[in-house]
Amino acid sequence: MFNNHLSVQSKNFIYSTEFSKNTTSNKMKISIPMKHLFALTLLLFCSQISAQNSEDLIPRDAVTVFSLNNITLLQKISLDELVQYEFMEEVQSELFDGSTSGKTIKDAGIDFDQKLNVFYGKRDDHEVSGFTFGIKNKVQLFTVFDDFDRVDTKIPGIEYYTSLSNHLVIKGNIGVLMRVEPLDDKIIRFTDSIWYARGNDSPWFNESEGSITDDSGEVLEEEEFDSDLNDSLEFANGVETEFPEATENPNQKNYNELKDSVLSVFQKQYLDDLCTDLFVNGNNLKKSDPIFANQLLHKTEGIFYMDNSRNFKKAQDFWYIQSIFPSLFEEINALYTGNVMLGDFVLNNNYIELKIESNYGPELGSIYEKLNDSKFDKSVLKYIHESSPAHFTYNVNLREAYEQAFKVIIPILEKEKDARLSNTLLTVQLLNEFIDKDALFDTYKGSMFGTFNGVKKVKTTKIEFQYDEKTFDYTELKVEGEEEMPLFAFGISTDRPDIPNLILKHIASLTSQCKNYGNYWKFDNVILECIPLFIINKNGLLIITNDEDLALNHSDGYGKAALSGKAAKQIKSSGLMYSYVDWSKTIEKLPREIFTPSQNEILDAMHQKTGIMEVVSSKSTKEKTTFDVVYNCSEQCGNSSKYILDLINSIYVLTK
Amino acid sequence: MLILSLFSLGSCIDIFDDLTIHNDGTGTFKYTINLSSSKLKINSILALDSLDGKKVPSIQHIKDEITRIKAKFETKTGISNVVIESNFIDFIFKIKCDFTDVNSLQSAIKAIVMEENLTKNMNDLSHIWISWDSQKLTRAIPELTINKTKDLTDNEIILLKQGKYISVTRFDRPIEKFDNALAKVTPAKLAIMLQTDMYSLIQNAKLLENTIYLSPLKN
Repeated sequence: MFNNHLSVQSKNFIYSTEFSKNTTSNKMKISIPMKHLFALTLLLFCSQISAQNSEDLIPRDAVTVFSLNNITLLQKISLDELVQYEFMEEVQSELFDGSTSGKTIKDAGIDFDQKLNVFYGKRDDHEVSGFTFGIKNKVQLFTVFDDFDRVDTKIPGIEYYTSLSNHLVIKGNIGVLMRVEPLDDKIIRFTDSIWYARGNDSPWFNESEGSITDDSGEVLEEEEFDSDLNDSLEFANGVETEFPEATENPNQKNYNELKDSVLSVFQKQYLDDLCTDLFVNGNNLKKSDPIFANQLLHKTEGIFYMDNSRNFKKAQDFWYIQSIFPSLFEEINALYTGNVMLGDFVLNNNYIELKIESNYGPELGSIYEKLNDSKFDKSVLKYIHESSPAHFTYNVNLREAYEQAFKVIIPILEKEKDARLSNTLLTVQLLNEFIDKDALFDTYKGSMFGTFNGVKKVKTTKIEFQYDEKTFDYTELKVEGEEEMPLFAFGISTDRPDIPNLILKHIASLTSQCKNYGNYWKFDNVILECIPLFIINKNGLLIITNDEDLALNHSDGYGKAALSGKAAKQIKSSGLMYSYVDWSKTIEKLPREIFTPSQNEILDAMHQKTGIMEVVSSKSTKEKTTFDVVYNCSEQCGNSSKYILDLINSIYVLTK
Repeated sequence: MLILSLFSLGSCIDIFDDLTIHNDGTGTFKYTINLSSSKLKINSILALDSLDGKKVPSIQHIKDEITRIKAKFETKTGISNVVIESNFIDFIFKIKCDFTDVNSLQSAIKAIVMEENLTKNMNDLSHIWISWDSQKLTRAIPELTINKTKDLTDNEIILLKQGKYISVTRFDRPIEKFDNALAKVTPAKLAIMLQTDMYSLIQNAKLLENTIYLSPLKN
């Protein structure tokens, strides 16, 4: 913002210099009367106030925003590389046509004195995503966005360009590239409604074969629709919605074509609503949310903002509660009020830091505060090897959090006058009275830890087919094989080792696969029918691991080889959680198939990186918990822009 | 889905096909998939709810699907005696059937692939994999629409290279000559074998193409 002010000032200054040169009289300037000078100053001031920046055109619907302050960092990044990121996915299709080949962001006519803002938002029935940026050279810009065609619009002061589903709106020297995507549920609902109202049978029913089939191969002549934005503006202004007319022949437009038409109409409607709100009514996220406006003032390399309270309202998972228990939904929603995550990217020579602040309302905050009201269990440290490539600790007091959650949530449920809910409530209250909570929460206190102990070759068996060279007939032979297995240990703090022992003894009496070896319990052939699992139940910890070395040789911990010194101190001083990953030792060894696609995206982003990532959290207070993610590069963070984009992408994938 | 996932994840897979053609054009087709070298990986995949956004089927679901496909296969013209053996401990799957002529076999396989929507690329099905004119047999394997080899890690490539594809063709009378120089013939010249690794095959499905010429029929 500060940079932009400077640029606005300098432009005015250049204009004024040229004016004085043309008049060839410096005296004229001096002779301007004082009241005119005041008026000129006021004019300049107003022009600065009214001059919009890229962050002023972020729609109100955005719930997640990444804003890069110092986009000079990105100058060298190639556009081809940029469009590979997931966060560019929604708006990148037109950049894949070769127009970006060999170009960098610097060649794209972007103004590096302005912020680059990536946004994503979800409403009940559609999603909106895109980015806003300053434009320095429009000619250069359209060498990249070369597939966009200009379309007339009735909105004054903007230029509107479109390319398939993507829309570029330019206001002054700011560009907004966006995509509006109606949710599939709504489109299918409307399409079905029109389809069946026209007397059609199920679109998937093939009469000739009497079976359900896919008609995707059948493409009929498409009716024409005007893509002019004006039409969509009229749509929002109360003009009756006209869906594609069907003729008497129901096959004139098949189901998928009808669906495309419905999609197109809704896309126009939502886009129009968004444009009216943004460019006619002048509403934007910065205006509507002071928290976001304040975050934009931070002088770091970049910031991020995620409004979880609005995410909660729009979450499809809650549709059942929302429709059956609307007042309960409102109460739960109120709990989430003020639940906003804010972040800052800080770039240094050899580290990148991401400071995250997770804010919440007082009631939810009271639960989190109690959750974190726990003393760190030092015995955990004995089981983390000093050379452990990755580990985490999680320090919570489940008992306190449970009691507080009970106090907060039960009164909300009591307000509901629904028989089903009332029965559930009674069950919960009776269980709360009858269950021995001391035994339960002493067995599982809530604190836990996990370590990744590398990869080990384990013996398996496999079947080999051996061919008789005379007949080429084969016989099956069972031979020994070897596969790589990642080694993990996962433990929880417990004050009641007798309870897990009770269960383990019971299992041992039922199966010979489970045996007690004194220091540990062993379950034979439990993993994939060939690999054992070990349980260590001592020293106030219940540890489950497939690491034979840990169970056999280190059931009391790693002794002198355990984590100590500064590293141990760092874990102890962490609040809610701590995690550590040495990427060079971890990334290639992780079994990718056990991670979800989005987690794999993050791993991909960290691929080929070396260095150490640490996540440290503060103690939770009633208002917030802070997290500090520090990525220490093993050498200098050479291409820092790449690291920042990787981090943004990781957060985008996680939060989408 | 599971097998495709294993391909893309770079697992060790062995595939054997064994085709017997009698002089009258009838024959027997056997197809075996051996995943026993990757059972750790398969079990870890089966333990997941979903992989790459797609639901991972349970073993019971896979068994049900096998029964369903078998029933479907049996109804195809010219196909009989369909037997499917599944070993869910070592993950070995075998299918065997008799056919009246190779065209029936090919049509039946193509029909199943289409009905089950197993390929997105219909061109995969336009290719003729097998033809027989009582003197010569021309055979290939369907081209796999998997272009993921460039994304595979070194470790995944090693695993794929360990996997084998073996194709055996048997006749009632001796083989006279054949086009593929990599093929091996039994001493009695009644069977011919082609073998390659899965990695090479994914890159070039033509490796197993062969035209086999038989000695003339004796009246």
